[in-house]
Amino acid sequence: PGWSPRVVPARGRKSRHDPPAKSKAGRLKLPPPVDPEELLVVLDRYRQHRLVLGALRAEFRAEVLQKKREEHLGGEDSAELLEEHRRLMAWNDEENARQRERREERLRKEAEEEKRRKLEVAEKQARKMEAFMKEKEKEVLQLQEEAKSFITPENLDARIEECLDNPRNYNFAIDKDGRVVKRTVLS
Amino acid sequence: MPMKGRFPVRRTLRYLSQGDVVFKSAVKVMTVNYNTAGELSEGARKFVFFNIPQIQYKNPWVQIMLFRNMTPSPFLRFYLDNGEQVLVDVEDKTNKEITEHIKKILGKSKEMLEKEERERKKLSHPATFGPKKYHLRECMCEIEGQVPCPAFVPLPKEMRGKYKAAMKNEA
Repeated sequence: PGWSPRVVPARGRKSRHDPPAKSKAGRLKLPPPVDPEELLVVLDRYRQHRLVLGALRAEFRAEVLQKKREEHLGGEDSAELLEEHRRLMAWNDEENARQRERREERLRKEAEEEKRRKLEVAEKQARKMEAFMKEKEKEVLQLQEEAKSFITPENLDARIEECLDNPRNYNFAIDKDGRVVKRTVLS
Repeated sequence: MPMKGRFPVRRTLRYLSQGDVVFKSAVKVMTVNYNTAGELSEGARKFVFFNIPQIQYKNPWVQIMLFRNMTPSPFLRFYLDNGEQVLVDVEDKTNKEITEHIKKILGKSKEMLEKEERERKKLSHPATFGPKKYHLRECMCEIEGQVPCPAFVPLPKEMRGKYKAAMKNEA
């Protein structure tokens, strides 16, 4: 095959266009002698050998191809794999369900918390309103009480007489604590 | 070369090869829906930041898509080649828990990985010599304790064919 380093061209010095030498003028080139029986035997043996080798090669090629195909498809027991897969998916669904429960629990707690807070706020508001109302009530009552001692056109004269009859002395000194210190006599 | 990003260790080969989630051949697409804010999405965020590079390194043929702020709660969704979709709720989980979970349901088991490793090793014989692409060593001179390569250290006279031929001629 080709000109590998082992196979050297037999032409040597001359190229194909040079005429052959004079010494080769009467040369008769004959093929090598062949023994017919030996030839038959040898051919048959070669045929068998090549047959066996071809079969072996085909066998190995098929085996390699089959292995490759097996590896591609996933190998092993398909049923087993499916079973395993389904089991894992079931476990995953359970996990999701658990997560959902946890989430619902959390949401419920939060809702409760919200409600409680709202309730508290409402209560506080109500209490504030109540206190306010009470304050206002007290003021109204106090005013009513004071109204009893108001000066009206009817008792105007009587009250004037009363004030003139009882003079009040405001001439007194006070210290920082509010106690009366000195009183001067009214002139 | 400056370090890029907040955690440049995520870009190192050593970190990436430490990822241990290898998906089964049936998994084709992985989708992550998460939120950029909120306490419940924290685990998912960490997962996306730290673990997804490792997963992609180990599974270069799996498509990974990230969706941000599209749903109120975070989840993962896997699309298998037989049309099945696997939903994984990851609300309120740490990133470690998430990786453990998906390794359990869709990852190749350790035995399978070891088996594949053994198959790969069987293909090549470590004792043969040849081109570096297919074999470990090219020549006996590369091994410690053997005769060093004559290209670097000339052989002693007694081992050279020239000397041996000369001796034979003499005798």
